[in-house]
Amino acid sequence: MSAQVLQLIVNGVVAGTILAVPAIGLSTIFAVLRFANFALAGHMAIGAFAGYVANAWLGLPAYVAILAAFAAAGIVGIVSDHFGLRPLRNYGALTLAIASIALNLVLENVLRFGFGNRPRDYAIKLVRDWTFGPIRIGPQQLENLAIAVAAMALIFLFLALTTTGKAMRAVADNPILADIKGIDPDRMARFANFIGMGLGGVGGMLVGLDTSVDPLVGFRALLSVFAAAVVGGLGSIPGAAIGGLFIGLAEELSLLALPASYKTAVGFLAILIMLTLRPRGILGERGL
Amino acid sequence: MKSRLQTTRRTLLQGAAALGAGVAFLPRGLRAQASGPIRIAGLVPLTGGGGAFGPNMSLSQKTVVDEVNAAGGLLGRKVELITEDDQTNPEAGVRAARKLIDVDKVSAIMSVWASAVGTAVLPLCWENKVMMLAISAADTIAELPHQGYFVRTQPHTALQGEQFAKFAIDTGTKHLYVMMPQTPFTETVIKGITQICQSKNIKVTSMIYDAKKTSLRSEVDEMMRTTPDTLMIGGYQPDDIVLAKDVFRANYKGRVVGFAYGMTPQFVEGAGAEVTEGMYTIEPIPAAGSTAYGRLQKLLKKDALDTYTCQGYDHANLALLAIAQAKEASGTAIRDNIRKIGDPAGVKVDNAVDGIKLLAEGKKINYEGASGPCKFTDIGNIREVVFRLNQIKAGKILPA
Repeated sequence: MSAQVLQLIVNGVVAGTILAVPAIGLSTIFAVLRFANFALAGHMAIGAFAGYVANAWLGLPAYVAILAAFAAAGIVGIVSDHFGLRPLRNYGALTLAIASIALNLVLENVLRFGFGNRPRDYAIKLVRDWTFGPIRIGPQQLENLAIAVAAMALIFLFLALTTTGKAMRAVADNPILADIKGIDPDRMARFANFIGMGLGGVGGMLVGLDTSVDPLVGFRALLSVFAAAVVGGLGSIPGAAIGGLFIGLAEELSLLALPASYKTAVGFLAILIMLTLRPRGILGERGL
Repeated sequence: MKSRLQTTRRTLLQGAAALGAGVAFLPRGLRAQASGPIRIAGLVPLTGGGGAFGPNMSLSQKTVVDEVNAAGGLLGRKVELITEDDQTNPEAGVRAARKLIDVDKVSAIMSVWASAVGTAVLPLCWENKVMMLAISAADTIAELPHQGYFVRTQPHTALQGEQFAKFAIDTGTKHLYVMMPQTPFTETVIKGITQICQSKNIKVTSMIYDAKKTSLRSEVDEMMRTTPDTLMIGGYQPDDIVLAKDVFRANYKGRVVGFAYGMTPQFVEGAGAEVTEGMYTIEPIPAAGSTAYGRLQKLLKKDALDTYTCQGYDHANLALLAIAQAKEASGTAIRDNIRKIGDPAGVKVDNAVDGIKLLAEGKKINYEGASGPCKFTDIGNIREVVFRLNQIKAGKILPA
């Protein structure tokens, strides 16, 4: 394997792991509420700004800022769903998905109103990459990788070991049966929104570390995040993790065959192929 | 019931046809703006890649309109400025332009910034006889069949590309690597730079990248493999930040140069002072010594003005003076008179209020703006532009 291919794989794994975090958020919400919530982009931006406030304004370290990103985006997720989307729950998935796009615009513009449009940077010193022979990797990339893996591991443990996690899986698996067993669907919806949008917030901060903190930080990544969730199987958390890696690797490795300007097309192509050949995604739906 | 319905429908259709015919045969002046306020529009980027510039462009236009209204208006009517956000996005730009043309009935659309937006909106302007006073720099825009409904105060991209080639020659560059996103002017700029540099035996390699990506590490890897001694970053602010961070992480040691519209103070803030240290920017500069520039400084209470703020000011002055010259508020009137208010034999003016007074007295005027002399070629390009090389030092963009 040539050094170039190996470097592209390293870059793809790191990029894919970051994509996987918000993709898991999108899938968690889809599994419980059965619609694609595109307001994830706005919540990613809220997470990025919450992390920025904690880190750059309050001087808190990065790992605390990540928790702030999760908490702020999660809480806004519950509130925005309660007022913006819950009243439309009976009008079907398409209506909800369209309403979520409108909600996303509202959230981005609230951020723009409060923080302005200029890009901001975290108070985290950017460091040069380490070089191992022909391969380079950044300490910050490794930190991002570790944060993403930790977030994914925690969510798996939550769903596997806690009562609430099991109840969420039950709703995702069979909402009617879960209702008969006395699991409150509204409570589960709030949990799904908190966790899903919270993960979106973490993803927003991770993307913000590589780019800048501005109201469109989540929107820029939304197509790749959506592609990751679709490829993995909307509603499946392991699927979203695998989908994230798949899209990350596919986008980076596409540089071997395609000009760099077509990178976004890889996400579109992945969605198209998956919806045509295997609409349920790699791992299928309802794998929460 | 059926016959009543048919009669009603027929009557309705006849009424609509009569109304349509009536409107079609109205004198053109009446269909444009014959009464009520004179409406001109700023279609500026308040958000997106050009979001750093739009608010000031809009503010400078507002000062012009406020001054004219305070002095009694134009042709006995008030002037109304309508501002729309194009989001630095052609799709949003077209939607906003449709509203400005169809609903607000404006005579001019001013300060369209991004070339992609300018390219998309200009056909709407010439089809509806609305004048566009633009910034959009892509060479191809002026070559569209715009029938004269287009002028721009920003130097077109071929002129800007020449400056980057000059930079490479002046700095003794041996291998220039150009990284640019896909825009309507990317190919023209790369072609122009390559032609000049190759004539001086400077190797040029180029890459067109995807500006929407949140990491450009692999693209930077590809650039690093060719070991260029100068890197040109030719994007807008958001992707320039991503690229600058990845170039820093990759430990690139060569010179970095970019467009001033991408490498802004906000770019420095977003990427960080350490990352941007030593980078060069090439900037078309406003006419800092002109009276119009000094006037705008006072009006906006700012020490330094960027070129786009000045161009926004000039657009509003030019549109209103052309209307005053024509004594008619329409896009066609602006098109036919915008060059007449730059008469070298006329009285020099630096603002619309003075110009309107002189025109009312039957005098000729020569508008010289805050961004420059504002004289245009037949296809709408600006004739004279001065460029400046800047360098970023300790988080500040300073003349090099």
